[in-house]
Amino acid sequence: MKHTLEMKNIVKRFPGVVANDHASFTIQAGQIHALVGENGAGKSTLMQILYGFHSMDSGEIFIDGQLIRLGGPKDAIALGIGMVHQEFMLVPTFSVVENIVLGLGAGAGAMLDLARASSRIRDLSDRYGLALDPSAKVGALPIGVQQRVEILKLVYRDARLLILDEPTSVLTAGEKDRLFAVLRELGRSGCSIVIVTHKLNEIMELADRVTVMRDGRTLGTKSISSTSQQELAQLMVGRAVQLHAVKPNRDLGEPILRVEELCVADDSDVEKVHRVTLEVRAGEIFGIAGVDGNGQSELAEAILHLRKAKSGRIFLAGADVTRMSVGERRARGVAYVPADRRGVGSVTEMTVADNAVLGLQRRYRRGPFRSARDARHAADRLAERFGVRGAGIDSPAGKLSGGNLQKLIIGRELTCGACMLIVEQPTRGLDVGAVESLWKELLLARQEGKAVLLISTEMEELLNLSDRIAVLFNGRILGVFDAPFGSVDQIGLLMAGIAPSGPSSPWPRPGTRT
Amino acid sequence: MNGSTLMVSAFFAAWLSASLRLAGPVLVAALGETFAEQSGILNLGIEGTILLGALASFLTSYRTGMIWTSLLVATLVGVAFSLFLAWMYISVRASQVITGLIFNVFALGLATTLYRLVLGNVAAPESIAVFQPLRVPLFGRIPIVGPVIFGQTAPFYLTLALAVVAQLVLYRTSFGLALRATGENPAAADSAGISVHRMRYLGTLLSGAGAGMAGGYLVLAQVGLFRETIVAGQGFIALGIVIFGRWNPLKAALAALVFGGCDALQLSLQIIGTKAPPQLWLALPYVVTILGISGLFGNRAVPPAALMKPYVKA
Amino acid sequence: MAAPGNPNVTKLFERRLTPADSPLAVAGTTALAVCVAMGIAAIFFHHYGASPVQAYFGLFHEPFGTLHGFGYALVRAAPLALVALGTIVSWRSGFYYLGFEGCFVIGAAAVGWMSLATPRGPHLGPLFLPLAILLSLTVGGLWAGLVAFVRVRLGGNEVLISLMSNYVARFFLQYLVSGPLRAPGSLPETSVLPHDTWLPFLVPGTRGHAGILIAVAAALLVWALLQKLPLGYELIVTGFNPAAARYAGIEVGRRMMLAGFFAGGLGALAGMVEVLGSQHRLMDGISGNMGFVGIIVALLSRLNPLATVPIALVYGGMSVGADAMQRRAAIPSSITFLLESLAILLVLASDIFRFYRLNFTFLTRFKWRVSPGEDSA
Repeated sequence: MKHTLEMKNIVKRFPGVVANDHASFTIQAGQIHALVGENGAGKSTLMQILYGFHSMDSGEIFIDGQLIRLGGPKDAIALGIGMVHQEFMLVPTFSVVENIVLGLGAGAGAMLDLARASSRIRDLSDRYGLALDPSAKVGALPIGVQQRVEILKLVYRDARLLILDEPTSVLTAGEKDRLFAVLRELGRSGCSIVIVTHKLNEIMELADRVTVMRDGRTLGTKSISSTSQQELAQLMVGRAVQLHAVKPNRDLGEPILRVEELCVADDSDVEKVHRVTLEVRAGEIFGIAGVDGNGQSELAEAILHLRKAKSGRIFLAGADVTRMSVGERRARGVAYVPADRRGVGSVTEMTVADNAVLGLQRRYRRGPFRSARDARHAADRLAERFGVRGAGIDSPAGKLSGGNLQKLIIGRELTCGACMLIVEQPTRGLDVGAVESLWKELLLARQEGKAVLLISTEMEELLNLSDRIAVLFNGRILGVFDAPFGSVDQIGLLMAGIAPSGPSSPWPRPGTRT
Repeated sequence: MNGSTLMVSAFFAAWLSASLRLAGPVLVAALGETFAEQSGILNLGIEGTILLGALASFLTSYRTGMIWTSLLVATLVGVAFSLFLAWMYISVRASQVITGLIFNVFALGLATTLYRLVLGNVAAPESIAVFQPLRVPLFGRIPIVGPVIFGQTAPFYLTLALAVVAQLVLYRTSFGLALRATGENPAAADSAGISVHRMRYLGTLLSGAGAGMAGGYLVLAQVGLFRETIVAGQGFIALGIVIFGRWNPLKAALAALVFGGCDALQLSLQIIGTKAPPQLWLALPYVVTILGISGLFGNRAVPPAALMKPYVKA
Repeated sequence: MAAPGNPNVTKLFERRLTPADSPLAVAGTTALAVCVAMGIAAIFFHHYGASPVQAYFGLFHEPFGTLHGFGYALVRAAPLALVALGTIVSWRSGFYYLGFEGCFVIGAAAVGWMSLATPRGPHLGPLFLPLAILLSLTVGGLWAGLVAFVRVRLGGNEVLISLMSNYVARFFLQYLVSGPLRAPGSLPETSVLPHDTWLPFLVPGTRGHAGILIAVAAALLVWALLQKLPLGYELIVTGFNPAAARYAGIEVGRRMMLAGFFAGGLGALAGMVEVLGSQHRLMDGISGNMGFVGIIVALLSRLNPLATVPIALVYGGMSVGADAMQRRAAIPSSITFLLESLAILLVLASDIFRFYRLNFTFLTRFKWRVSPGEDSA
């Protein structure tokens, strides 16, 4: 059998983590091959190596049995490998045809022949059902159509292997069907297609074969017909979970946070949170499970008002805060540990002491003046209690390692006297000891009667800490589970979008794009 | 034609002639700067570069008497200094605004010093070899507009030709497409295999060439001498023209005409003697430019999206 | 002990991942840059027959060694420091305003008008100065605040808009001094302002006026604002990271507009100081490019308000010294501009050298190769 491409024993290390641990991957011509795994499984890295974006530390890549060397994206393109990234590489002010011929110049003075390019685009577009108008301005096109431009870019360059990274995360159901039709047509014409995704329900319908990755390793390749979603979900998510956190029982208090029919769109006006309703009570840790990109960040941002909700209401301790600004909500007791530590949660150019009072600057003062002394005391106390090490409180916070910076941020938000704490990916990048101590602090907050909304991609963390877990998929809550949580399989299935047989459908109805 | 019509047409001719004359140098500088800004670089240093080009052209003409060579030398000097600026903007990734502004002070110091150095105690020359207005046989004789439109100096026509060439290159060649992509979405350009650094270097060098030539134009075809104050803000006017012309060479030519026209208007009006203060006309192009980029009237003139943002490969 | 020469070191200059930012590295590269600039300027000095040492001495002697010269240094320094302070307030808040030339002119015009319009006879007396300060702060604040509004609410680019607005202000002043405020005569300037409205002279016999005191007071106030008030903290956070600022509950738009208002006020104050303390009349070109030089002073002060007055003094003093040098030794003062700007450019460029590590072992490698017999480690 002829193999189009084979990746063998790929190893790639980044500081502190092995992204690819002897991963291997094979794809044949005309196949649609899905590469699945959770966040951090290593699938994006593996594909970026294939695309020439990263260099591998060791391993080999063969095309039709020939060893190939990839110095950069240009080499990959020359070999017929192309990638459609999650973030499109398009120039919004250019037309479709201009975007497609960008970089194809034959010499500096070559005149553009947009007419000829346009007619070729129309041909290809008809052949694969892409339906593109070459003269349309890309910036004005809906996201689904922009994605088609990206695909056509590759087809125009005679790509034989197309890699798509989480292609459906920005599409409505109708656009998804469209995309699948295009991909099947491309497969029929002999292209190989790799789809990197975590959405098992989709690939069951589309792919021929699937490879599961976890923790940087490839766990094996199966043909779709010989496996099931449940099996894949288990491989993807399931692992023996050590339950070692002691959670004393608590009487739940009043509902502190109530979110009603909340709809939130992202920066491109794609609806990311669809009519979410939930309630978190005092003394409760409410976990939100789900793979990154299903609306978690937008939900958290909307609760703090870093992002305006399109519709719906938010209540804090009974009061309607939907129209209140960030400052007002913070004053009413909302605290937030964002996923982006360096970009949002801290100011890396300022000192650790200054960062310790971020958001609380009006609190630490004497009369009309700031009290730098009080701020430094607060920083000292935080550093001691939460083990922030690596830089003195007068050094720039940027010197702290990711883990220590996170401890500072969590410490600050936990001790600011808030009644509602939203925590997003709190232990990402932390060592085991730090994870454990942070878990203790979160449970302590719970003990103290705070309401905690815990958003995490780590199953272990959710299972250990949460009183309830809701699964967020495509912006919808697919199910809510109460502790004690039985097997993780149910949760894992929902995270991958596989609804248990029942009326709730994980997919939006066609045409629900805002 | 009766007396008042004659006077009006004389006024009009004088005004038009002055407009074209004043518009030339700033236009050629603006053309170069358009390339820089389309690639994402804001080169505030063109003010100083024009001055250095002016000095270079003066000295060359003084020594050799060859006007075209002087213009060429001015252009090359502009390129040379903008190489340094490009290095600062792109490789050192220094702040473009700060570097450009300081460079202008440096250029003033250097030009003044070199001028005194070379001329020493020799009194400033009465005149140097300069471009003479052309005399075009047939067209030049069209009443009123003939001598005006067809009686400009050679650099003027060169500038017009350059505007057309610039428009073609920017919008009809793959180089122009790549350059514009670099200024709008450098990541996209990078992933298409375009060297963002190389494009930005080229854009900056082109702005240096334009500025250098503008300096030569000023000395050789407008003023006829070198003075330290010969530029007097025209570099910044060129920046205004780039914006007013929406980063498009042909529109920049029109914008230059508007700026030149307002400048000439206030001169001509002083001859006639009207009530409205001449400064109103001088300020008008700037006010319109500000309104254009401020978004007050919808459809804001949008600069290239990556303007002034250094690009670091992820 | 390691063997001399490490065969793994293949380059003399090795690129580091992060720049060396020890104070020694920063000071070292800065000093190197300044020395190179001084060296290049020395070439020019030499051409004029002055030894560099003599020249540099002369440059500093007049403004700092003589009382008369020091007075002039104070005169030059005051408006520069005020513009620098305006730059610091706005740039540190993330608002890259460059319209200080315009604010300067507007402030000077407003105060000049007020001075000329004060009725003769019972003057406002001691009230005049506070009112003048208030007026210039207000007009300058509104002038720059308008640009800030456009930036915050409409998304306009403040760098380009403020540069253009300088011209509008300049033409406005031209109009005033050629028209409504023109003194009888043919020069486009106003008549001399009434003596009661002048800033008092500080040191008898020199031209040094009280403007420097205003600058010092302003520097302290700006320092207090940025370091001691919660508002200052919020401005600084906004300048470093607007996303984090919003996260902290800071109203980024409002803070930026406030920063613009303060900055414009300070720029206009510079104009007031110049017109009431030094020029005593309004004319075209009264700003003398100080709107831009003040920005340079701010950069040299590393955006630290307390450093603005000393640095403005050094800078202003150097221009006084340069003028003196020109008068006495016929050395053009433009060499000083050259030296100053070249020094700053090289300092900016020198930052890149902190990205490279000098491998001394690379040099010893050659030694080892040439005489292998001596290798005894």
